[in-house]
Order: sequence, then structure tokens, then C-alpha cells
Amino acid sequence: MMTIIIMSVTFYYLAKDAVKSTAQTYTTELVKQVNNNIKSYINGMKYMSNVVAGNYAVQAYLSSNRFNSLKEEKDYKETISDMLGAMLASRTDIRSANIFGYGGQFVSGRKELELNPYVDITSMDWYTNAQKSSGRSVISSSHVQPIFKDQYPWVVSLSRELVSKDGTKKLGIFLVDLNFSVMNDMFKDIRLGQRGYLFIIDSEGRIVYHPQQQLVYSNLKSEMIDKVLEVKNGTFISDQGSDRRMYTVQESEFGWKIVGVSYVDELVDNQSEVLLSIVLLGAVCIIIAIFISLFLSKRVSQPIKRLQGYMKEVEKGNFDIHVPVPQTVELYMLARAFNMMVGKIKELMTQTVLDQELKRKSEISALQAQINPHFLYNTLDSIVWMAESNKSREVVLMTSALAKLFRSSISKGEELVAIRTEIEHITNYLMIQKMRYKNKLDYQIEISELVLEYRMIKLILQPLVENAIYHGVKMKQGPGLIRISSEEKDKDIILIVEDNGNGMDEGKLKSLLNPTAVTEGGRGVGVRNVQERIKLYYGSQYGLTYHSILGVGTTVYIRIPKSR
Amino acid sequence: MQVIRKWLTIVGVLLLIAVVVFAYGYNELSMKKKTDVIVILKTIDPSVEFWQVLIDGVHEAAQEFNANVQIWGTEKETDVDEQISLVENAIEKRPDVIVLAATDYQRLVPISEKIKKSGIKLVIVDSGIKSDAADSVVATDNVNAGREAGEAMKDLIKGTAQIAIISYVKDAASHIDREKGIREVIENYPEIEVLGTYNSEGSEQNAYLLAKEILQVHPDTLGIIGLNEPTTVGAGRAIQELELKGKVQLIGFDSSFNEIKLLDEGIMKATVIQKPFQMGYLSIKTAVEVVKGKRVSKLIDTGSLLITKENMYVEENQKLLFPFVEN
Repeated sequence: MMTIIIMSVTFYYLAKDAVKSTAQTYTTELVKQVNNNIKSYINGMKYMSNVVAGNYAVQAYLSSNRFNSLKEEKDYKETISDMLGAMLASRTDIRSANIFGYGGQFVSGRKELELNPYVDITSMDWYTNAQKSSGRSVISSSHVQPIFKDQYPWVVSLSRELVSKDGTKKLGIFLVDLNFSVMNDMFKDIRLGQRGYLFIIDSEGRIVYHPQQQLVYSNLKSEMIDKVLEVKNGTFISDQGSDRRMYTVQESEFGWKIVGVSYVDELVDNQSEVLLSIVLLGAVCIIIAIFISLFLSKRVSQPIKRLQGYMKEVEKGNFDIHVPVPQTVELYMLARAFNMMVGKIKELMTQTVLDQELKRKSEISALQAQINPHFLYNTLDSIVWMAESNKSREVVLMTSALAKLFRSSISKGEELVAIRTEIEHITNYLMIQKMRYKNKLDYQIEISELVLEYRMIKLILQPLVENAIYHGVKMKQGPGLIRISSEEKDKDIILIVEDNGNGMDEGKLKSLLNPTAVTEGGRGVGVRNVQERIKLYYGSQYGLTYHSILGVGTTVYIRIPKSR
Repeated sequence: MQVIRKWLTIVGVLLLIAVVVFAYGYNELSMKKKTDVIVILKTIDPSVEFWQVLIDGVHEAAQEFNANVQIWGTEKETDVDEQISLVENAIEKRPDVIVLAATDYQRLVPISEKIKKSGIKLVIVDSGIKSDAADSVVATDNVNAGREAGEAMKDLIKGTAQIAIISYVKDAASHIDREKGIREVIENYPEIEVLGTYNSEGSEQNAYLLAKEILQVHPDTLGIIGLNEPTTVGAGRAIQELELKGKVQLIGFDSSFNEIKLLDEGIMKATVIQKPFQMGYLSIKTAVEVVKGKRVSKLIDTGSLLITKENMYVEENQKLLFPFVEN
């Protein structure tokens, strides 16, 4: 926009100067051209005067006082007249060519012309001026030539005194009249702008030609003739209030001044037109610029905006995005890079998920692996103890229960098992433990048939029950009871393991499920494993909740989703 | 974003339209509406120099004052009905202004009133009407022109004398005024007797016959004033024929080839010329000013000039006496 404005202003000033100098140059050229045209007419007349001045017949006719016969005089006159006539024949612009001898002789190139008896030729300006100029040509202003009978033409006269060859004797005056209409026709069509015009004055300031000559004479118009007379060649501007005019003056060789007049306010008019058109052009340019920028923003910024939208989408986690690749070169690269980036991220994400999955699986199997030796150690310890006490029936019972336990946990490699299987498993386990602790441990299992049909990750209950036995019931004076029950909650199942053992204080309770807490004697390792496994498998909203009152007992709630 | 862009587009388009409308409007304005002028002259007969020079003045002014001029006229100055119908046509064309040179002082009055009624401005040039319907009258002050002729006559004759005035038509305003001017001057000189005003009824031949009769009946007649070109030329012929050159002083009005010859030959001593170029020029200038609502004077005198043999070839007078009519 700024560029356009700066350009417009610069252009305006350039144009302003250009208009002015063009007007001036144009006028000067025109005036020169007019001068050349006039010159060619005048030179034509001068040429004629030179021919006549040097002509033998003319000299002879005018210088001899007497002729041998009337016929001889007539012959001379005839010869001269024919010569002048021949000159006129080729020139339509010449009205007449005449010789007036000081001896009263008169010869004209047009034989039909008769002198006007009421006009005194010797009083005419062209006659007296020629006499004063001693042999040089004199150019008159435009005037009415009344010397011929019944004719009053407007002419420009060239007159010259004819002198004898030896220069001693003045013979007469040669006059050639140029039809002024020839010049008038040339001048009248010349217009400088709407109101400008051309005028010509002679060396004395008389008007040769002026389109409004009569207005000038009657003072309806004033012309700066004095100023023009002062100036030789060049341009000046008259200061006549609102009507300021620029005068371009050109002086011709024979004393005329050709003046081109242009109205300054017309030039100014032109200038304001130029200014207007520049303002308009500027406005149009600005509008075009606005449209172009709109178009460009459509082409460039719009795809970027769209890309931004896609990026937001990616930010939200949607990687299933493919940005349509636009045509624009710059954005083509950008979009392509973006697509590649998103693709790469997606790939990496999938990889990470896979890795996590693998890691989790390995962790689970590691946890499961952790449980088994712990329990095995204890059970085998019990079996050893029973065998030492020769309790072979119990050894058999326990060993077969252990065998069942292992079958249920090992035989099937799947992670998920029916709750029924898990309960069977825990029953076997409790049976083994009951054998070990006799009357000190009792248990109840009350799970509804409906719940038994659902599936859960295996080896959840056993560590909890194990915990309840070792840290609850075992520490207690008198017989302990472990009760396993279930509750159904819309989409979840809650398995409850309660004991009436020692219970725990707040601190213990807190550290039980805290993964970083240091545990004494391996306590809590199993519980934490269970918690982690549930959370890993089902999600963070699932897991274990403990309620414990010191000396009364502990209850564990296991929340898992219903799944089949 | 979408909304903003939509608005931007709308604003842009509106701006574009505004610019175009503005440009167009300004262009129209800057053309500076030309004033439409219809000029109705007494005649457009190219042989009548007076009107041709007046037309030159009209063209010159049209160029300068940016007027669109049409020039109409009848074949003959005496065709009043034809001129009335020309004015009718002109009214139908609804120009801004009509410039009229009335062929008749009385009969052009109703149609001139009609011009005013149709809201067209009216400028009278050269010859007026017996009504003040015109917004301005651009003409020679003929009373003053008559005074100039009277003064010239008074200067030419010494002592007791009889003079005659020959008029062209009875009811031409210009002739009435000129006669009035002449009589105003002569009244102050009791030794000069005005024989009377003789009406040539629109013919040069009649003027010639009248002059001849006057000169024969009143041999003491020393001066004749012709109120226009044909009467002057007619009287000049009579003087020439009766070989009274030098004895009888002839003063005329206007200029023509024949009058110049009379002046050149010394039969006519002086002629009072009008300035038709000025009339044409000033009538258009005034017409344009009237249309533009400027105040103009009701009467604009274009002036007159007394031409004698002595000053006829003076630079300033040549152009008036020998008009350079462009054909």
C-alpha cells in the first residue's frame, strides 16, 4: 500500500513536470513550424524581388528616359509583364507583382489590373518604407491593398526600391502582394489547448494576425504586446489574475514575432486530471492488492491454518491423520514433512504400546513365578513337618491338594480363569493350610453361582488368603476364621476376604499397598503384586481396598470388572 | 476467519464500485457541460458580409466560452414568418439559450415571450423587439450612432443647409433610433433644416430614385444621410449620376464594397460602422453568462465608429471596414 502511494506521488510530480514541459516544447515546436512556413512564403517573394531587381529588361525600361518608339516601350512593358506573369502563374499564393517606376511607369504581372485613381500610391506605407530602406526588401504587416480598382484584398506586401546596376540611380519600387488568406487559413486552425491560440505582430507591434484582433482593438481583450516586443525568443507567463497565459515567442528573420498563447489554468486542469487519474489508479492498485493478498492468504495461510488444525488434532492424540498435500510448493514440503512426522510418531507409539504390553506380560509372569516358590516352600515345609510326625494320611491329603493346586495354576497357560477355578484353587490351598494349623484355622467360602461363571486373572485370592493366615489368624490367640464372599455391583464384582485375626494399625495398613515401602520379612510382597497385576490388567480404577481394626480383624475388597 | 474474509471481500467490492462510480461521475463533471446555444440571425446569406462577420465572432466566442453553437437564419432578411418558424423549431430543441436577431420589431414579440415561458434564456443581438422578454440585448447603441452621423454632417456643411434622411424600412428599431440620434444633434443648429425622412421601403433602387427626386426638387439640399447600406449606396448612385460630388455631402451607415468605393471616390464623406464581430462575440459571451446565472447588464452596447476617407486605411479600422471573412 505504501509502495503504491509513494509511486503515485512520484508519478504525479513527474507527470506534472512532463505536462508543463511537454506543453512548452509543443508550443515552441509549433511556433517554429509556423515560422518556417511563413519564411517559405516570404522567401518566395524575396526570390522574386531578387530576380526582378537584377533583370535587364526592368533596368532598361525604368532607366531610359526616352524610347525610340512607342512600340519599343510597349515591347519592354510586355516583356516585363510576361516575366512577372510567369512568376505568378506558378504561385497561387501571390496576388500580384508590380513595378512602379519613378518616372510614372507601371507594370503588373496581371495585365487586367487597373490602378485605383482615388488612391495615392506614393503615400502607401509599403512605398515609403521601401524608399527608406534603400534597396532592401521590406515586409509589411497584413493590410488592405486598395491600389487596384474595385479590389480591396487583405495582403502581406514585400516592397523594394529598384536601383540601377551601378547603384547611382533610383529607378522605382517593386511590389509583390501575398494573399493573406493563405496565412490566415494556416493560423486559424491552430489551437493550443481548448482556448489557446497563435498571434503574430510585426517589429512595431502592429498585429499581423490575431484571431481576436477586433476584440484587441476595442479593448475587450488585452494582449501583452509590449512584453512580447521585449522578448526575443522564449517563454514568459503573464500574470493577469485568473487568466494567466503562457506566451511562447519566436522571432522571425524579417522582424515578425510569432507568439503562441496557452492558458495556464488549462495546463493546471490537465494536471488535476492527471492527479485524479493517478489517485484512481492508486485506489485500483490498492484494491487489486487487497484481492491478491486475499487470494494469497487463501492459497498460503489457509493451508497453514488447516495444517494447524491437524496439529491440534494430533495434540489430542489422534494420529490417524493424513494431511491432504496442497499444490503450493512451500506448503507441499511442509505438509509432506508433517505427514511423515505424524506417521513416524504413530509408528513409534505403536512400538511403545507393544513394548509396554510385552513388558507387562513379562512382569505378570514374573509375579506369578514369584508366588509359586514362596508357597511351595511353606507347603513343602508343612509336608515335611507332617511326615516327621508320621501323619501319613495328612501327607497324602496335602500332597494331593498341592498337586491339584499346581495343576489348576500351571496346566493352563492362560492368564484369565473362571472364578470357579480360582475358588477351587483357593479351596485346595485353604485345605492345605487347615491341615497345617488344625483347629487354629477355619474357613468359609460363600460365592454365588452367578459370580462363579465370570472370569478373572488367576492367583489373586491365594496371596491375600496367605497374608490373612500368616499375619492375621496365626498371630491371634484362639481359633481364627477366614471368610471368602462376593458382591455384585452393576459392572463390577467385589470379592471379599475377611479374617478375624490381629488386624493392623494405620501405619501398617498404609505401607501395605505402598509399592516403595520397605517391608519386614517379605510381608506385603504378595499383596502388592496382586494390586499391581489387577491395575495393570484392568486399569487403575480397579484393585484392592483394606479395612482393618487392630485386634478385631482385616477385610480386603477385591474389585474387578465382570468379564466372561 | 471465514466471516472476516467475507466482509473484507464485500468491503473490497464496494470500494471498487465506489471508485468506479466516483471516477465516472468526476469525468462527467470535468467535461464541464457545454452550453447549448441556438443563434437565429436575420439571414445566413453568405453574401451579406455583416452577418458573416458576426458569425465569426460567434464561433470565436463559442470556442473560448465552451459553448455548443448552432447558427440558423433565413435566406432573406425580410422573411419574418420563416424566422418565426425557425424560433418555433429552436424551442422544440430545448437549448439552454437562444440568441436572436429579430427581423421585425413587433412580430417577433409573441414568439419571444414563448421562449421565456418554456424556460429558455433569450439574448437579443443587433436588432431588438418591442418587449423586455430578453435577458440581455447586445447591439449597437443606434441613438449614439445616429448622433455620430449627425455630428459628422454638421461638421461638413457650413451655413444654411437642407438635409434629407433616407430610411430603409419603417418599423426597424435601429432606424428609428438612428434617426432620433441624428435629429438630436441637428436640432441644436437652427440653420440646418431637415427636409424629412424618406422611406425607401426596403429597396436600394427606391432609395436611388428618392435621392434623385430630392436633389432635383430641392437643389439646395447639401446633405443626405442614408440610414443603412442600401439607402446610402442608392443615394450615392444618385449623387454620382447628377454629378453633385463635392457639393452634396453623403453620410451613410455600415460598410460594404460599394460603400468603400463611394468613400474611396469621395462621394460618401463618412460612414458609421457597427462592430458585428463584437456583437457575435459578446452575444455568445453574454448568453453563456446568463445560463450560468451571472448578472448581466440588460443592454450591452457594442459601439460604433465613424469612418472617413482619412482614417479608412488606419490599421484598427481596416479590420472593421474590410472584414476578413473566412469562407
